[in-house]
Amino acid sequence: MSEPLSVLLLDDEPIVGKRLRPVLNKLGCEVEVFDDPKLAMQRLQEKEFNIVVTDIRMDDIDGMQVLEYVRQQWPDTRVIMITGYAMMSLAREAMEKGAFDFLAKPFTPDDLRKVISMAARYYGFDIKSPDPD
Amino acid sequence: MPLIAVSADIYETGLDIAHQSAEKLGYRFLGRELLAEVAQEHKVTEKELLDSLQASPGLLPRRVRRRRELSNLIQVACLERLQQDNTVCYGLGAHLYLEGVSHAMRVHIISTPQQRAADLARKEGMPLQQAPKLLKRRDQSDHKWSKETYGSDDSEPSLYDLALNLTTLEPAKAVDLICDAAASSKFMAMTYSKQCLQDKLTACRVRQKLLPSFPDVEVSVSNGTVVVRISSLPYNARKKQEKVRQLASEVPGINYVEVHVTSRLLISKRG
Repeated sequence: MSEPLSVLLLDDEPIVGKRLRPVLNKLGCEVEVFDDPKLAMQRLQEKEFNIVVTDIRMDDIDGMQVLEYVRQQWPDTRVIMITGYAMMSLAREAMEKGAFDFLAKPFTPDDLRKVISMAARYYGFDIKSPDPD
Repeated sequence: MPLIAVSADIYETGLDIAHQSAEKLGYRFLGRELLAEVAQEHKVTEKELLDSLQASPGLLPRRVRRRRELSNLIQVACLERLQQDNTVCYGLGAHLYLEGVSHAMRVHIISTPQQRAADLARKEGMPLQQAPKLLKRRDQSDHKWSKETYGSDDSEPSLYDLALNLTTLEPAKAVDLICDAAASSKFMAMTYSKQCLQDKLTACRVRQKLLPSFPDVEVSVSNGTVVVRISSLPYNARKKQEKVRQLASEVPGINYVEVHVTSRLLISKRG
């Protein structure tokens, strides 16, 4: 694969993008970070990303709407949901709508690396997971 | 892929359905054969373990305490094996301690009160007319026990994802419905649900360490952080806190231990 893995990261708390961007860059991903869901949705209309990482609870547009849009517009894109309000019903709803994975905050960079490396395998990328399954 | 925890009003009926579901899905079956392994590992009898799943321990504190320890041994063994997906679990009370794990589908097989009374009369060798009264007493005692031990009331419908009534369904149809439901993506395992399952196992392991010294202990774990609640007389609360920390820290996978001590004087005043 010559193109790097493209990742859109959306979280309305800017600190999350600031912390996770270097983690994803180190994995060799090309990352675009958004803290405004509307701008993220505009970008998703223009470009198909390999992976979308999105927070769930946000103002105006929530992560479930982002998930639904991406699954409809770009069915090959892997969507990873992250939330500080994890609960069984929300996790099940996300999986039913086609999420690739669901992570509860707080999580460690290693947790994210593991999930990204699993999603990357689908595109033929071999990213070293910290704890290969 | 999911875990399926099946429970039933009549053990044998549920066993057949759980077995057939596992076979049809190509899943592993986890049943009461596990009790022999637990008995051997912990030098207890299989009968004691089976009793801890089936009957209320009564009111004697020593028996209640022993029953809690035995139930916890089963939970640890069961949860260790359930870390692997694609398993149908039956007869180990797993539906009571998998609450909150989103890839665990909990199924209950319902029989009519008449069918249950007939089953009880046959097992106990008693006249059919006497069975409903005993059944009612046992149900009340079981609900109380499940609430005290697992924090879940097994008669609460919201505990189950699927309830199948065998008065209107053939057992083969019940198997089909379980297999169809298991194919739903909402029961797929994910990082969060696997962490929930791991947390439940860690909580049981910590409880196993603490129960012999702290019979009233309550343990919960979230993402490796352990919260322990015990009661104590005020004069040795600090000493007990330290002991809990030390014992709990011996369990692998723990990041932090928080210990809350409730004054026993307060409890007795309230009571």
